[in-house]
Amino acid sequence: MSSLLTRRLLQAVPMLLLVSVVAFALMHAAPGGPLELYLANPNVRPEDIARLRASLGLDLPLPQQYVAWLRGVLSGNWGYSIADGRPVAARILERIPATLELIGLGLTLSLGAAVALGVVGGRGAPRWAARVSDLCCAAGISVPVFWLGVAAQLVFAVHLGWLPAAGRSSLGDGSWPDRLLHLVLPACVLAVAHAAAWGRYLRAGVRASLGQPFVRAARARGLSAARVLWRHAVRASLGPALTVAILDAALLLSGAVVTESVFAWPGLGSLFTDALARRDYPVLMALLMLSSALVITANLVADLVHRRIDPRTR
Amino acid sequence: MISRPLLVGLALLLACGGTAERRSGASPTLLVIGYDREPDTMNRFSTHILEDIQSCIVEPLVVADDSMRLVPVLAREVPTLDNGGVVLRPDGGMDVIWRLRDSIRWHDGTPFTSADLAFTVAAINSPDWNPESTDGFDRIASVDTPDALTAVLHYRTRYAPYALQFVRGALPKHLLEGQDIERHAYARNPLGTGPYRLAEWKTGEYILLERVPTYWRGTPAIERLQFRFIPNANTRVAQLAAGEVHLVPFLPWDLHRDVARIPGVTVHRTLGNGYEHVTLNQRRVSAFREVQVRRALWHAIDRELLVRTVLDSLAPVVNGAIQPMSWAWTDAVRQYPFDPSRARALLDSAGWRDANGDGIRERNGAPLRFSLMTSAGFVTREQVAQALQRQWRDVGVDAQIELVDGTAISSRWFAGDFDAFLHWWQMPADPEITLFFARDRTPPAGRNINYLDDAALTTLLYRSDVEIDQTKRRALLVKAQQRLADLAPEIPLYNTTKLDVIPSTLRGFRGNPTNSGPFWNVHTWTIAP
Repeated sequence: MSSLLTRRLLQAVPMLLLVSVVAFALMHAAPGGPLELYLANPNVRPEDIARLRASLGLDLPLPQQYVAWLRGVLSGNWGYSIADGRPVAARILERIPATLELIGLGLTLSLGAAVALGVVGGRGAPRWAARVSDLCCAAGISVPVFWLGVAAQLVFAVHLGWLPAAGRSSLGDGSWPDRLLHLVLPACVLAVAHAAAWGRYLRAGVRASLGQPFVRAARARGLSAARVLWRHAVRASLGPALTVAILDAALLLSGAVVTESVFAWPGLGSLFTDALARRDYPVLMALLMLSSALVITANLVADLVHRRIDPRTR
Repeated sequence: MISRPLLVGLALLLACGGTAERRSGASPTLLVIGYDREPDTMNRFSTHILEDIQSCIVEPLVVADDSMRLVPVLAREVPTLDNGGVVLRPDGGMDVIWRLRDSIRWHDGTPFTSADLAFTVAAINSPDWNPESTDGFDRIASVDTPDALTAVLHYRTRYAPYALQFVRGALPKHLLEGQDIERHAYARNPLGTGPYRLAEWKTGEYILLERVPTYWRGTPAIERLQFRFIPNANTRVAQLAAGEVHLVPFLPWDLHRDVARIPGVTVHRTLGNGYEHVTLNQRRVSAFREVQVRRALWHAIDRELLVRTVLDSLAPVVNGAIQPMSWAWTDAVRQYPFDPSRARALLDSAGWRDANGDGIRERNGAPLRFSLMTSAGFVTREQVAQALQRQWRDVGVDAQIELVDGTAISSRWFAGDFDAFLHWWQMPADPEITLFFARDRTPPAGRNINYLDDAALTTLLYRSDVEIDQTKRRALLVKAQQRLADLAPEIPLYNTTKLDVIPSTLRGFRGNPTNSGPFWNVHTWTIAP
């Protein structure tokens, strides 16, 4: 176990370095830049733009800018946001609680629904339930998140008035019921697509397992149907679904971009959208590195979980 | 089956969360504004987006009102030659005398004085700080403050837009002197003299302003203003319909019909100080250097039809860069009514004919073809581009639409990397158009992206920039507008009318065509019972 961890950590360092070089180069190669927004304002003259570019260090050669950035990161300084001049680390840290709330509830709902869909669909009985499960999986994967979000707002906020349409809290009300009410719609919308995808993996796994000799053997030993299903068939099918779920979770933790945009949710996803629109390079770099680190960590976690639930991989 | 405890839990949640406060209408205690973005900084001199929220806190010396007249706020009067506020010096420079209102205090109780104006000029011209623009300030050689309520600005040269010098207000000297303005807490919580002050900034969610009871023009009627940051326009409308927000400024035109169905709100329309138009890049497309071709392209477009259909008649057709509410505007210019046969005749006379019968005109074997660049994701603009393409096609001109991401598009036009470009300019409150049309103001020196090269027009424009007498300046600008219409370097389409959705019970809202924004008179707003 410890050798695996050490090996992975050693692999992660050059990987992150490579990601940083590629991300930095691609970001600067993309058309536009942080000062483009100023061009639309006629009061901002070319000399103002040149002055601002120099003050941000954007007039330096690209390799020099990268080295300055890397040196800062290695000394624990992620730099300052171009948009508002605040430290990048502070901008990211203040968004993490909102992201954790949304992703936490969204993933919990997804996992619950995925297991339900996978098991019902995988067992194949009763037949109507399996068909409903198939239909739900297909619909969940096919419906675009932004459309589902807007539809949910119209139904549950505008017409029924049960839930808030967007935002994280009501003014002057930081109570947990108010926060939870604001969380329901975005978390459910986020859960739908992932539950459907993960459910399909699980369903396929359960279907395959139920025809395997070890399941027949379990039945022959006189185990109850529920025990055969949950203890043997479902457990053996969890591997691929969990691997996908853990990798998805890593990506979501670095920002559920569409969901956060539709529901004006102040998490990392909306910070990323905002930083991208303004070409806020320091914030974008920090978010991309965070995302890469999360994916690398998630891969490691997925391997460890896989080894835990499937003895064949040990 | 859903268990009973779960149902009880849900009911409790709904009850505890309470929909009453969340969905209450606009009231004298709270007005919730659905705003499309979070400000970068609250320092008006540093921000590069609109200053609506800041304008509730930090007041200018003069403001452009809803009809673009300059009205004094912290100044006692707008300085002019007539009232002795402007003195032209024989050395080619000028002095502007700002007389401040008595008894104005910053929100911390410190008097607002001419020393604050002198400090603002010095701070902006200092190399230690990088404000968004130093335009005008860098022409000021020195500032005298003969008394606490008088500041005399000594300009090195004549500068016609001098009256707008402090349209972003002033910086408090007692707070910022000797400080790093960029990193000072002022950027998140500015000190002002205005009707509101910042109560809370919840990053990513909202800014809450609370009224200043001792405000010098009387206590504002509305207690609190909450600006909620909602980047998605459809979400803003959904929250408006759900009663969670009460006012949505700058509604995208394509959502006008959706909002019209929502009870309890009114769409307020204000002429904008900007115009949608097609820029014709003469440097890139040789055909655009021919005035007959430019005029033909203009005659080929049925702008009235565009406005009636795509724009739901929300914005009027305009014929030039200076907008109808400006004191410098004139309609005594050459007109280009929709006339396809005239367009065809002009193209024929220029030698552009469809010799091979493919419906596209050619000359010397080269087709009359260009790309029409515009920003992606702007529904109305995409529809207008398609209509233009169709109408030009009817006279034998082939335009290929190219949609470009909003952030990337600026570098394209700034580099002159386009053929034709459908976009708008939001103009300054002062009618200076030199930046857009003088022959030496092509990028990077300016915004002349038509690459128009006309000596007579350039002379007129530069003369108007140093003419301080408004009557004489208007005469020069009228001639410039006439010359521009004759040259037809670009095709003006319609005014960038602003739509603001307000509660039907809101009184005093007047909108604003300029970047002063719709909150310029927020201290007069009231909510009817």
